[in-house]
Amino acid sequence: MSRRTHRALSPWLLLLPGLAVVAAFSLYPFLSTVHKAFTDARTLTPGRWVGLENFRALLEDEQFWVALRNSGLYVLLVVPFTVLLPLLLALLVQKRLPGVAFFRSAFYTPVVASVVVAALIWVWMLDDRGLVNGILGVLGAGPVHFLGDAWLLLLSAMALTVWKGLGYYMVIYLAALGNVPRELHEAAAVDGAGALRRFVSVTVPAVRSTMVLVGALSSVAAFKVFSEVYLMAGPTGGPAGQDTTLVMLVQRTGTGLNGRVGYASAISLVVFVITLLLMLLVLRAGREEDA
Amino acid sequence: MPIRRSRPVAVPLLAAALLLTACGPGDDGGGGSSADGKPEGRITFQTWNLRANFKDYFDGVVRDFEQKYPDVKVKWVDQPAEHYAEKLSADAGGGTLPDVVNVSPDLSHPLARAGLLMNLDKEKAAARFKDEYTPEAWQGNVLPGLSGAYAFPWYLNTGPLFYNKALFRKAGLDPEKPPRTYDELFAAAGRLAGAPGGRAATLASAPAIEDFGRYGVRLMNDDATKFTYNEPKGVELLGRYKELYDRGGLDAQALTNTPEKAGQKFLEQKVAMNPGSAHDLETFRKNAPGLYRDLGITDAPNNTGKPNMYVMGLAVSEKSRHKAAAVAFAHFVTGRERQEEFAHKVAVFPSTRGSLQDPYWTKDDGTDAGRVRVASARMLKGAVNYTPVVMSDEMKTVLRNEVAKALQGKKSPRRALDDAAAQSNALLERG
Repeated sequence: MSRRTHRALSPWLLLLPGLAVVAAFSLYPFLSTVHKAFTDARTLTPGRWVGLENFRALLEDEQFWVALRNSGLYVLLVVPFTVLLPLLLALLVQKRLPGVAFFRSAFYTPVVASVVVAALIWVWMLDDRGLVNGILGVLGAGPVHFLGDAWLLLLSAMALTVWKGLGYYMVIYLAALGNVPRELHEAAAVDGAGALRRFVSVTVPAVRSTMVLVGALSSVAAFKVFSEVYLMAGPTGGPAGQDTTLVMLVQRTGTGLNGRVGYASAISLVVFVITLLLMLLVLRAGREEDA
Repeated sequence: MPIRRSRPVAVPLLAAALLLTACGPGDDGGGGSSADGKPEGRITFQTWNLRANFKDYFDGVVRDFEQKYPDVKVKWVDQPAEHYAEKLSADAGGGTLPDVVNVSPDLSHPLARAGLLMNLDKEKAAARFKDEYTPEAWQGNVLPGLSGAYAFPWYLNTGPLFYNKALFRKAGLDPEKPPRTYDELFAAAGRLAGAPGGRAATLASAPAIEDFGRYGVRLMNDDATKFTYNEPKGVELLGRYKELYDRGGLDAQALTNTPEKAGQKFLEQKVAMNPGSAHDLETFRKNAPGLYRDLGITDAPNNTGKPNMYVMGLAVSEKSRHKAAAVAFAHFVTGRERQEEFAHKVAVFPSTRGSLQDPYWTKDDGTDAGRVRVASARMLKGAVNYTPVVMSDEMKTVLRNEVAKALQGKKSPRRALDDAAAQSNALLERG
């Protein structure tokens, strides 16, 4: 083997194990999903080419529009909280106060907890005879049917998502805040800027790129939400399926012995395209801000 | 130097495309072995949520079988109750369906349609055992649109309805006279909803397809190609449930409760009645002794005189490499001796001919269990598996969601059932 061929092949050989894993577990399933989206494949039958039929059916499927609305709302309502609250939390635990390490760990605990366990605890708390309604009862209010009303269920699931993500994004912000020069704050303070002014004019511009990153990450995660809603609203997606999200719809239509794999693949493709657009939108917004 | 980008990107893409064209699901060409030969080889036997309570029984069955057929080795695997259909579909898709597999008719239908289960009526080695089972049980495994039975009949279960006698007393109802018809059920629900100081609902779940069946609604047309539960009788039932829901007769979370959650509500004495199984008795005894002392057991109300029956079967994989051994084992487990032995261990009923004439199922021995057993065995004669075999999980969800819309008042019962039937029929048409 010539030295030139050797040099050309070596990187590929080194990459091969990694590429094989990516090809088998990411690329192949992705391409297979794209292919199946244009077929009437079922769980146990390969299906035949049906062109855009699945997408036509999607447009007429009431459940699809409900799911699209819920996933969209999830992004609109969850992302602002996951961008701002962790930043405030990071500012709080950044201070060198006695016992602050405990709070840092406590805020991070939900991140390492299993989503199933966390959701179960929330379900117990929000039950008609749970902790929250118990407290409301003492105050002479309630009971509030958190788990029986479609909107309250969706909002509760959103709250769980925000609560569970706080610690994770807080750590990202802590790293970014460490890079904000102290002199900037001191200079602003000397110029008479108060805490709020320093937050808006110094902290936010300094961590803007991190906010864009957190925005991109959390909006993609929010759009693809499954576990929180599935665990709190049940497999049918809340009363009359009104809390179904897009990924839940993929799971419901595409699994089981009669699963409509082709149709579920078409929904997956829609989720993929919207997620991609969402990412591009957030990144572009970040770039425009920087410019 | 310009970087040549096209080739490096193209290589993995092409490789993946090759995988895509080569690895799509399809016929693996494996046709299985002959069922007529001598039973031999290693076979896998899969049950559905039975290991926890019956490990010793099944270990014994496997041991006895291997003694009788020394050339056969049986590997027993058990799957949890939840997501059993998903597990079966993964096995079927991967070509690893167990040789002998525990199914109900609604699970065997898609597997049989895909050519993955043995047609027992067409396979002489299996068809010769047909007369050992009751004709109803064998017929219960004959699937619409496919000629022949696709599973050996195994145990039958009517599933008791539990009720809380204390809540009945509080509402001024006779705890020894649980409702037997839907009229009685709705009347009792009215009393329970108005009980002083009580916040207990009558039921924890919205009506499902079995309720429509028990109410006397025609669920499907004769050739099982269209759903008919939107006929006036179905609309009437849903209308009555709507009244019950408005009066607080259904649990506030009835529209989202899973069977597990509904069971939990009954355990916490928040609802007065809940369907269950014999396994629940032990749970009540351990976790809610107060409830256990006041526990009533009856059959679910019905207007047809025919209770609902769950049918379990053992199917043989068409792709099995040891069909003779698989047929022999499936017959061994579902034969009269084994079925009766199993039915003595838990409150299920054998599907073998003549078994239910045994005094164990005809003579009341004076115990609570004996009374329930004899009464249930008598009811079993006319029992029906109300869940249509062709009704997929997605169709059940469609019905559940439309029923929920009617109960919430978002749609009239008529409109909700019409929509559910139309959506389910469209799914059925797509095959």
